[in-house]
Amino acid sequence: MNQISGVQPVLQRSYRLMLLPAVIAVLVFAVLPLVGMFVLSFTGFDLVKGWDTGFTFDNFTKLASDKRFINSVWVMLALSVFGVIAQVIAGTLIAVGLEKIIPRWRHVRGFFVVPFVVPHVAVALVWLSLFTPTLSPINAFFDLFGITIPAFLTTRWGAISAIVIADTWASFPFVMLLILAALQGISTDLDEAASIDGATKMQVFWRITLPLLKPALLMVALFRFIETIKHFPLIYVMTNGGPGRATQATNYYAFIQTFQNSKVSYGAAIAVFLFIFAAIISFWVARMNARLSDA
Amino acid sequence: MTLTKLTRLASAAMATVFTVVPAYAEDLNVILFSMPYTNGLAELEADFEAATGMTANIEVVGQDVFENRITLSFTGKTGDIDVVHTPVIQVQRWIEAGWLQPVTDGVNGMDSKEDILAGPLDAYLVNGDYWALPFFAETGMMAYRKDVLAAAGYDSPPGTWAELVEVAKAVHSDDVAGFAMRAAPGQGFNMFVFPMIMRAYGGKFFADYPNDLTPALNSPETLEALNLYIDLINNYGPPGAGNFNFSEVAASSQAGKLAMLVDGTSIAAQSIDPGKSQVAEHMAIAPVPEGPNGRSPAIAVHGIGIPADAPNPEASFKFIEWATSEETLTKIALAQPYPDFTRASVAANPEVIAKYESINPDFLNVRVDMLNDAIGHYRPLLPQWPELGAAIGEHINAAVNGLETPEEALAAAQDEMAEILAE
Repeated sequence: MNQISGVQPVLQRSYRLMLLPAVIAVLVFAVLPLVGMFVLSFTGFDLVKGWDTGFTFDNFTKLASDKRFINSVWVMLALSVFGVIAQVIAGTLIAVGLEKIIPRWRHVRGFFVVPFVVPHVAVALVWLSLFTPTLSPINAFFDLFGITIPAFLTTRWGAISAIVIADTWASFPFVMLLILAALQGISTDLDEAASIDGATKMQVFWRITLPLLKPALLMVALFRFIETIKHFPLIYVMTNGGPGRATQATNYYAFIQTFQNSKVSYGAAIAVFLFIFAAIISFWVARMNARLSDA
Repeated sequence: MTLTKLTRLASAAMATVFTVVPAYAEDLNVILFSMPYTNGLAELEADFEAATGMTANIEVVGQDVFENRITLSFTGKTGDIDVVHTPVIQVQRWIEAGWLQPVTDGVNGMDSKEDILAGPLDAYLVNGDYWALPFFAETGMMAYRKDVLAAAGYDSPPGTWAELVEVAKAVHSDDVAGFAMRAAPGQGFNMFVFPMIMRAYGGKFFADYPNDLTPALNSPETLEALNLYIDLINNYGPPGAGNFNFSEVAASSQAGKLAMLVDGTSIAAQSIDPGKSQVAEHMAIAPVPEGPNGRSPAIAVHGIGIPADAPNPEASFKFIEWATSEETLTKIALAQPYPDFTRASVAANPEVIAKYESINPDFLNVRVDMLNDAIGHYRPLLPQWPELGAAIGEHINAAVNGLETPEEALAAAQDEMAEILAE
């Protein structure tokens, strides 16, 4: 007993020491920049005009009346909500299909992961050419039958759909992988019991599999939602925020203010908004998740 | 074994990247971003040493890396850059930020000052001082398919924008679109080309630039120009033209799907290049069309200047004088795809003429004519221009794609100009 209580603190201390590099890394690479961003957002730093270090709320009051910013929030919500819905549905269907319906095809899983490892800039370039009617093989194919496909990137909802489609293609494998993992955690006994009682495969999916997947679905939707808030390469390459400002999402707008207009502090204020927004969503999802687990 | 090699290679690479070359009085650090001229210049380091006895480390990087590198150096006042790539579109912003030093005395003392094309040089004349020497002047140009126009009964290219609409209408078909021009939003995208129409119709950005900077975009003249631009892109452009940037314009032309285009010289050059275009033998070059208010070809100028904290300005000036000299420009014009030189003597050089005439006989002549017609403040030379141009460009693009009416777009753009200028 004595021996153990003597060893324990030593062990604990060395465990703590082992954690130290990770803690330092998080402090230096995550916490410090975050603190810097908050500090910047309360000052007036302009790359060209110089640094007005006085404390000010100006950046945040300006946000409230900035029409371009408000527009960017709506654009972001549209891209995120539609994007997450599409990715979760596509990823879940493919995961359930691979696991339940055609389990023999398991070895093709690797094939479905391919889009996930392609860098987003490359994804954007590929989809840009697919959505540019003069370059697109899809348009060329339909032209053979005299069918003209409308130009996606020149209308508001077309451009938003184009980015959602490209993002869904690139990101559904993430959803698929997490849902596959969750499916493997669900005992097959439940399926078997249900089918012995006469349930059809569809009934098993709706009544048993899907409810059991709920916590995983929520988590994966949250991850994807936060990721879609950070949309950048797809917008930058595919639309430049256009047509007009139809795809100028908040993250892209922060980039414009910071790097194009040199308004670093204002850009930081937009980033602070995004941070708080993501934090609120995460908190809300975590609470929902807790309620689900309790139930 | 391989791993050791790799590690060694990696550490050597890191050393190259992170070694700060000490700035001796006669050892200059030059930072430029990649374009045919700068790539050509980097190969002539030895020539510079032979000519002046000084050495130069010419570093050519991508434009985004360049922006980061100079912003860090200039805001940190490190003084580690002796000569810097200075695009005219940034010059006002840099001057306001105190990042550049004037080169007026040096320029006025040059024997060959008269040989430098006036438009590009004057673009660097701000507040009575010169801030850089130009090495690149791109201007606007039309490229067109002779065969397509001839088939519709046109023996010569349209001379005015109104005629261009008429020709576009006559030649437009499902296979070959009548016309294309940049439409993607951006001060360097649609705002590089749209002012060619706007100014031809008498539209302007300000009441009386540079004396009275009251926004004057929302005028009947600009509206007429915008309507023509929208008509051309939406009715006679290839499918999806409302999102076209220069690369899509060039690609459509090279694939033989375009009858006419108006863009910068480099895009026009690509569209007539036999190595790139499937229809090069049918392509021809023509001046930018005129309007009721004359002709206003686009202009984009790049030059090299001296950072405010460069430790040895005399040595830096010797470098920029050498880099923009007749001899250096001629060498690069012959070695690189670089028809955008800024000296009259280079344009008169028989070897240079022979090289570019072999691609297209009219190219150099039309280019010089267009440069003479271009005004230095084609895009206003203001520190806020990048921001203004982006905002206006977004509304123009919204009008082209039907998100706003042309009237709404101009009114909204003018309001935003006022807001940006008031800050």
